[in-house]
Amino acid sequence: MSLIRNSLVVFGKELVDALRDRRTLLRLLIPAVLMGPVMLLALSGLISSLEDRAEKREVLVAGIENAPTLRNYLERQTYTIKTAPADYEARLRATTLLEPVLVIADKDFERALREGEQPTVEIVSDSANQRAGAGVGTLTRLLSGFNSERATLALALRGVPAGDLLRPLDVQERDLASVQARATRITAMIPMFIIMAVLYGALTAALDSTAGERERGSLEPLLMNPVQQTALVVGKWGAVALLGMAVALLSNLSFIPAQWLLRSDSLQAMFQFGMPEVGSFLLLQLPLAAGLGALLMAVAIRSKTLKEAQAGSALVMTLVGLAPMVGLFNPGGEAAWYLWVPGLAQNSLMMLVLKGEALTMAKVLPSVVVGLGLAVLCLSYVARSMRGAVAGQK
Amino acid sequence: MIEIDKVSKAFSARAGGSLFKRAPKKTVHAVQAVSVHAPNGRITGLLGPNGAGKTTTLRMLGGLFPPDTGRIAVDGIPVAERPREALARMGILGDAHGLYPRLSARENIVYFGRLQGMEADAAHARAEELARLLDMGNILDRRAEGFSQGERMKTALARALVHDPANIVLDEPTNGLDVLATRSLREALRHLRSPAGGAKCIVFSTHIMQEVELLCEHVIVVAQGRNVAEGTVDELLAQAGERRFEDAFVKLAYGTGTGTGASA
Repeated sequence: MSLIRNSLVVFGKELVDALRDRRTLLRLLIPAVLMGPVMLLALSGLISSLEDRAEKREVLVAGIENAPTLRNYLERQTYTIKTAPADYEARLRATTLLEPVLVIADKDFERALREGEQPTVEIVSDSANQRAGAGVGTLTRLLSGFNSERATLALALRGVPAGDLLRPLDVQERDLASVQARATRITAMIPMFIIMAVLYGALTAALDSTAGERERGSLEPLLMNPVQQTALVVGKWGAVALLGMAVALLSNLSFIPAQWLLRSDSLQAMFQFGMPEVGSFLLLQLPLAAGLGALLMAVAIRSKTLKEAQAGSALVMTLVGLAPMVGLFNPGGEAAWYLWVPGLAQNSLMMLVLKGEALTMAKVLPSVVVGLGLAVLCLSYVARSMRGAVAGQK
Repeated sequence: MIEIDKVSKAFSARAGGSLFKRAPKKTVHAVQAVSVHAPNGRITGLLGPNGAGKTTTLRMLGGLFPPDTGRIAVDGIPVAERPREALARMGILGDAHGLYPRLSARENIVYFGRLQGMEADAAHARAEELARLLDMGNILDRRAEGFSQGERMKTALARALVHDPANIVLDEPTNGLDVLATRSLREALRHLRSPAGGAKCIVFSTHIMQEVELLCEHVIVVAQGRNVAEGTVDELLAQAGERRFEDAFVKLAYGTGTGTGASA
């Protein structure tokens, strides 16, 4: 009975103490709450500009006067032809020009084309200039369309009905991804920001209530109260985990207004992040906040100063924060062990939610088991170490 | 009543070493045989030079770590076996007495009161009472962040006394206090020792002779981890055969009279 009461007393005090640290809170809210939405908006800007380009149907060409036939073809495909600036190479390199340029340098283009000499045209782009690179596909498709039209005509003149000879296959694309699955390509980064938010929220409180307490010289008097070690540790841990969850909640909520600002209509239609998603994201973070809060405390309790503890926790922060990257390095898809790794598991589960797939017990349970196990293990270590932390020689 | 019976404690400390050579461990005997018997209604002084083992002894009394040998009891409760009961009967102002800078003095005091098992109302009432006793009403609702040394010490003292303990243990409480603050602390301790103040058992450790002369009815001189002498100030003077307490202390603590008392 007194264990619960004492834990609550400690919990209340730690919470008040942490919330009064306004400056630290504000500083951690900036990366936790603003970064995600800003990234999302920037990405949506990129995507909408790609969409604009597709809608505009424009091609940049240098030397179109050499090739009236090609001009005629492009215009029949309802493309507008714009003359490329003279310094297009320099501007592509400097990424001030964001579209690839079709270059027809051959002054003899028409004659060569007529006589079957295969005149050369160039598509100039810069693979370091990603947005220009993205337009290369469109140009290539246009030109191969021109190629096959010319070939069909040439054969037809010789009396060969060549339409299906030249295209023995009729290729059609069928996209299996649902609307939501397509949206997750863009929203895949949201889970990473939310995992980082949990860590940021828990970090300062975890360090302050362990190493900070020791550095200030308040741990010794605290331990000279008739309170169970467990009550102290559980109370502190409760506050740490709650702060992690609170920052995660704010980070979650920040994506809701962000999606209203999405510039591309089709993106807005695809991106679905509402209250149900916020709710399930939060629930999925609970084991993470519990386990990592305890882990950070365990790392910090043996440190004599906050500085030492920060150095120790940097490893935890980096490993867990970058865990979602494993998915990038291993494009072969999700492996079963992902669900057992803190950080990576939450990432995978949140991706499932974003894809609109159902969460099953079998998928959620590993992360819960790992989170709780980690919490119990680390907290018992902290409880044992607290006394040891002050038992040394002064 | 506090009874510390021939406690000893050794630590292992690291010697210098160098970048490539791991430093060898050295054993430091911080406390070898210190005994303190402090009855209720008396201020017992623990006097000793720096490094004599006073703080280590008091930290063992506070249950932070057990002594290697010897035993410690508070009101008959052994600290090693029943630490929480013993701690509930003590108010300890230790060598480390950090406050929570983002909490007000009152919140600092009430937090410890709650941890001592008090209800919130009772703890608040007690904080007010202690603020009057220690003359700190003006800082009670200020955050501890900007406190002066004296204000911090008073708050830490109030925090240690919040549950009105029968035994009060103070480790160099006048460190950093000015004359007025020291004087008011002395007044407060005399009051707590008197029957009106509850006839508390007070153990007071210091290396300042003047404090002991002015305040303590019984003095235990500790040097190099051992009791070297014990008695009232007058008895110690007689034992050392000196007229000035400082000379007596040097003679008792270091075993050698400097002999040139008049010129010191």
